[in-house]
Amino acid sequence: MSSIKFRYALLLLIGMLLSACGDMTDDLLPSGDDKRPPVEEGTSGTQVGQQAPDFSLYDTLGNSRGLYTELATAEAVVLYFNMWCPICDAHASHMRADIMPAFPNVQFFLVDYVTGSITDSRAAQEANGYTDMDVLVDIGQEQFDAYRASMGTTVVIDTAGIVQMNEDYKDGARLRSTLEQLP
Amino acid sequence: MFTFRNRMVPFAGAICYLSLALFSQPASAASCCGGGSATSLVLPKFSQSMWDVAVSMENYNGFWDSDGIYRDDPPDTDLNQYRLSLGYAMRLGSRWQAAVVMPYVWNSNQYTGLSSSTRGLGDMTLGLTYEAFDDIKCVWKVRNWQDMVPAIYYGLALTVPTGISPYDNVANSFDITGRGFYRLDANLLLDKTIYPWTATLLMSYGRYLERDVNREYGNYVEPYRKQLGDRFQATASLGYGVSLENMATVTLSLAYAHLQEDAGKVAGGTDFSTEMEKNSVSATLAYANMDKDWIFKMIWSHASPYSGHGRNFPVTDIVTMEVSHVFH
Repeated sequence: MSSIKFRYALLLLIGMLLSACGDMTDDLLPSGDDKRPPVEEGTSGTQVGQQAPDFSLYDTLGNSRGLYTELATAEAVVLYFNMWCPICDAHASHMRADIMPAFPNVQFFLVDYVTGSITDSRAAQEANGYTDMDVLVDIGQEQFDAYRASMGTTVVIDTAGIVQMNEDYKDGARLRSTLEQLP
Repeated sequence: MFTFRNRMVPFAGAICYLSLALFSQPASAASCCGGGSATSLVLPKFSQSMWDVAVSMENYNGFWDSDGIYRDDPPDTDLNQYRLSLGYAMRLGSRWQAAVVMPYVWNSNQYTGLSSSTRGLGDMTLGLTYEAFDDIKCVWKVRNWQDMVPAIYYGLALTVPTGISPYDNVANSFDITGRGFYRLDANLLLDKTIYPWTATLLMSYGRYLERDVNREYGNYVEPYRKQLGDRFQATASLGYGVSLENMATVTLSLAYAHLQEDAGKVAGGTDFSTEMEKNSVSATLAYANMDKDWIFKMIWSHASPYSGHGRNFPVTDIVTMEVSHVFH
């Protein structure tokens, strides 16, 4: 009898836990519907089709790097939001080996949004073997929040300042096609 | 009359309980980088049901990159995941049993420039196991070849994505407590006790189901299809048990585990970012009372922070405290 009561109690507990999850259970019935909100092109913002607002961040060598300053000499700027984790490394090493050589006139940046200081970011950059890439230090996560980014978010901004891509890196195919189709 | 032999026979049976207990690890809540256990609870033979509570503390200590090179975390980093797993197993028939494991997860991540603490359900596991034997296969002495035959369990485990995944309405990767995919695992467990030694071998092969994705970390994106790579896990253990004066039993086991996941598929291409490998060792100290209805376990799992022991995966230490109560 006690065993039966325990089973019911366990089922009840599981039900309560599940019901408390609200919209966190979307994975149970995944949707393939396109729910992207419409974006009015030409407005200022960080979503695809919008005019990227200017920003300035320090790189790990202590240099100030401004978005539109970089765009003045590059066909585009790529921002990869990086937290020095295995998936980030898989993405970044793929980007460095398979994407960057094909687009020498594009400025690629890793954006470190976790270490919080130039010194620590430089240490992480060296420890992870990325001293050959430019790393921006997003102290306070201002750009991380502005681009509604997360680990692996990849942003492409063309020379006119228009956001052409803002999504997860995945296998890099979307980044490549976006760069190939730059205006 | 208390003889050596009549003391050893129940002792061998008790070791059977403890050897199975080694593989009754509640499913780990998966992190954004992988993880998760392919097994579910396994009920000892002739028992009617069992509940299990486990508390795990996982400390992250760098990672192996995609070339297998060990990389440190950034300076002053303290990354931890805590899990409370509730499990229940019940007998369906003389050879059939079912189980459910539900983890609850706390993520605590501390960087110099960032502090994050989140919690939520992990991915639930449903298990169905068939026992390919009728009699207990634990012996205290080998008299013929039949005494060498191990207990064989065939199992199916379904991981249900009840956790918080990157495709839910979450702000960032620190909120993640699950992978977001259904996975079906086929499990094979071999278990043999010859007093006072116990050897076990678990092999598991899992396949994730392909799914639609239209959101990444709270942002809606152009819909695409995604499937994680096939998963293989093997764990071998060897344990030594002793009987205490009060007829309780204590077993110390050492295990070696290999886990790997193939590259997945994303939008028709190959998703190399989740391809991973992890090798680890663990030590388990288990105690069962005289009636063998209460089992206490302490498990320490260690991944070596050196190059060549894994690939594209975090290096972690996991300490688990677990209590099981068996209804005979």
